[in-house]
Amino acid sequence: MSDLLLVRDLRVRYPLDGGMASILKRNRRAYVDVVHGVSLNIKRGETLAVVGESGSGKTTLAMALCGLVPLSGGEVYFDGKILATGKDGCLRPDRRRIALMFQDPVGSLSPRMTVRKLLAEPFRIHKGLSDDPDRSALDLLSMVGLGTDFADRYPHQLSGGQARRVGVARALALKPDLLIADEPTAGLDVSVQGEVLNLLADLQQEMGLGIMLITHNLNIVRHVARQMSIMYLGRFLEQGLSELIFSHPRHPYTAALLAANPSPDPDATPQRVKLTGEVPSLLQRPTGCEFHTRCPRVQADCRESFPGRQSDGGDQTWNCFHAIV
Amino acid sequence: MATPALDIRNLSVSYQTDRGELRALRNINLQIPAGRIIGIVGESGCGKSTLISAIIRLLAPNARISEGEILFRGDDLLGLDPKAMRALRGNEISVVFQDPMTSLNPVLTIGRQMLDVQHREKHPKAKKRARAIKMLERVGIPDPAEQLNRYPHHLSGGMRQRVAIAMALMTDPGLLIADEPTTALDATLEAQIIYRLQQLQRDFGCAILFISHHLGVIAELCDEVVVMYAGEVVESGTTRDVFLKPQHPYTRKLLDCDPARIKQATRKLPVIDGSLPDLLELPGGCVFRPRCDRCIETCAIERPELKGDRHRVACHVAGL
Repeated sequence: MSDLLLVRDLRVRYPLDGGMASILKRNRRAYVDVVHGVSLNIKRGETLAVVGESGSGKTTLAMALCGLVPLSGGEVYFDGKILATGKDGCLRPDRRRIALMFQDPVGSLSPRMTVRKLLAEPFRIHKGLSDDPDRSALDLLSMVGLGTDFADRYPHQLSGGQARRVGVARALALKPDLLIADEPTAGLDVSVQGEVLNLLADLQQEMGLGIMLITHNLNIVRHVARQMSIMYLGRFLEQGLSELIFSHPRHPYTAALLAANPSPDPDATPQRVKLTGEVPSLLQRPTGCEFHTRCPRVQADCRESFPGRQSDGGDQTWNCFHAIV
Repeated sequence: MATPALDIRNLSVSYQTDRGELRALRNINLQIPAGRIIGIVGESGCGKSTLISAIIRLLAPNARISEGEILFRGDDLLGLDPKAMRALRGNEISVVFQDPMTSLNPVLTIGRQMLDVQHREKHPKAKKRARAIKMLERVGIPDPAEQLNRYPHHLSGGMRQRVAIAMALMTDPGLLIADEPTTALDATLEAQIIYRLQQLQRDFGCAILFISHHLGVIAELCDEVVVMYAGEVVESGTTRDVFLKPQHPYTRKLLDCDPARIKQATRKLPVIDGSLPDLLELPGGCVFRPRCDRCIETCAIERPELKGDRHRVACHVAGL
């Protein structure tokens, strides 16, 4: 099957102008590379999880794909066709077909609109998709498991989980082909988290939706995403089938990340891979492999160049000279 | 037994709202022995934040403490005048908040802020500076003297949270309250922070009240766990007892929902059916009854008390 979304060597850099410091220190680079050459693909009906800590560039990647921040390089194909960029450098995707679910559930809903209005809004913008926006809004509401009595509530009258559901309904209103969900379960407790993820899984099955799930919660990735990518300082360090990566991580960062995930068993003795040092600042991106400053397997060549993509022929690739065998 | 660091007795807090009185906390009983780490788990909206605000007296203006006592080293905090409370807050009782970027002042250097927390002490500035450097070193910040001249935005998320912990421990508090301090961090940094907290707790001997959604973090860090549901404590005990032999139906369901405990990959995650009760119109009897699959007739009539010695549970059918 062909890819729904294919991204090749995507780059996003933010300018650093405006500050006194950047004017005074003329030798300083005037930008930060937030997404530094990312390639990925998502098939219809499949979920790709992008895992990485805050600041690794996950959200910027999502925003770039939705055309909210300008690209500085790379190509994006959607449903076989290349996406054009506008004058401002942003992608011009068909917004009806790519939907974004933002991180903050209440903050992404207008506080002055009722749930009914919020859900009818997409239909008012994209005319011709629904004869009766209000009717469609109520249908959406029942699709995400909320009763009609929610239609006249304002966002502040919703709990975190309910606001997420409205977010899901809004994102799926126009029957998109691809959903980009930015931390859809951050701040939710395990039971509500399960509800939201089950809802996404059901809708995915029904609508054949491709999902890009951005998260730093490793526990959910194993269950909901067939594919995963590990992001560190704007680059993917390891990609492939979640099953393979969880059972046999090849990149030292992935291994450390998986080992660090605390187990809910009080008797478990953690087998930690010890990482030393700090996450480097994007302003001073390390040469070579970005992870070398913290890597337990570091050698001289890691400091010189970034390792190319390696694989053993299976559905797992990694960027490391000295991968775990 | 020695006086516990914090002893909350029969605490009830309610909010006055347009729709009536919202009873956010009801008859909370909770002890934090000196030098122990106690974890609180519960769904959002179960009253965790209200509890913290009540302890440090930062409740919203429409909140009212209707009954109960909060004893800190034997003295009731609720009886203190604002001045005495202010002397305690940030000195004897410190808090580390969820988001280190918003709890640090973005326009002041780390050094300035670390000196400011020592404003009560009558030491010369150089000595305060030396103490700040030493403290940063203890929380594992490389090159601490250099960091004092930097601003919060220069530091990574993990470093900022460690600075926040260093500031909280600066005054050698008797009680440290940590409100989801690792939520914004990835697993490797989360593990580092947990390890640091454990080590510092041993060195300083302070009690820690640790709040988290993440059951794995609680299991690894805490000596004891308190499970809250809809404004009540439903179960408390040692981490081993609560995680390995949960008694309350809610605790069992909560643990079953944790995707980390499900070994086989599944597309259908377990959930707890139903939703939290409306705190404005509480049902009689047990608060968990509408979502419980083990309830009996008594549950609808009588509210279960928190019973037991070390492993306490508020349920009519527990142990049956």
